[in-house]
Amino acid sequence: MDKIICLGKNYLDHSQEMQEPAPSRPVLFIKPPSVLVEPKDNGQVILPWGRGVIHYECEIVFKLYKKNIIGLGLGLDLTFRDLQKELKQKGHPWEISKTFKNSAIITPIKGLKDFPKDWQNTPFTLKVNGEVRQSACLNEAIMQADQIIHYVNEFFPINDSDLVFTGTPKGVGPLKPNDLIEMSFGPIEHSFRVVEFG
Amino acid sequence: MDKRQLSHDILNMIERLRIMHDLAKDQNFSVISKEELKNDLDETLKKLSEDFNILIQ
Repeated sequence: MDKIICLGKNYLDHSQEMQEPAPSRPVLFIKPPSVLVEPKDNGQVILPWGRGVIHYECEIVFKLYKKNIIGLGLGLDLTFRDLQKELKQKGHPWEISKTFKNSAIITPIKGLKDFPKDWQNTPFTLKVNGEVRQSACLNEAIMQADQIIHYVNEFFPINDSDLVFTGTPKGVGPLKPNDLIEMSFGPIEHSFRVVEFG
Repeated sequence: MDKRQLSHDILNMIERLRIMHDLAKDQNFSVISKEELKNDLDETLKKLSEDFNILIQ
């Protein structure tokens, strides 16, 4: 994989909860493949809480081939929120708040054929310790599938197997050590714990 | 020929082969048809061989 392309502020309700104005088009940024982790079902992911508050952001993930979506999954885009706020206030780039080890967690990617035809109307859900924290459909986003690919292609060379994190809806929040994460979307049902030590 | 770019292209083609393998294994032809996949495979293998021969010089 070459890169993980991420959209920020693709859901209006997330911009509102962050008390930030919605941009005319979503924000784009990149995470390197080295921060990606795909935990086994019922597995665990080690996170560096010693460096600050870590927020989760659940999103639909596209797997691409020849600029076509060939597979879908769910991802957690993790952020050192305090560090991000501080960097934003200073007008500095905030990549380092999103590029720590294991800051891009994904479920297994399933082929598009495994999803209903109207998968953009299919809700994806994140539960933390059994409580629904985020739930939305891609059709509620500012940009949907075709627009996203077109938009991303304006700014980045898209390589085969690149992943696209498509933005998060409202409900983001902090993670604590040993939280149980459950993510579901169409045929995907995946759970794992986030831990401080292995 | 910029060998660093060539190496990058070769690794991308290897990655593409892995995706083609997954599409075939999963019988996932809803987006890329079987015929298109076969053509991609032929083209990629040919280009991979050509580029590898340049890299190895």
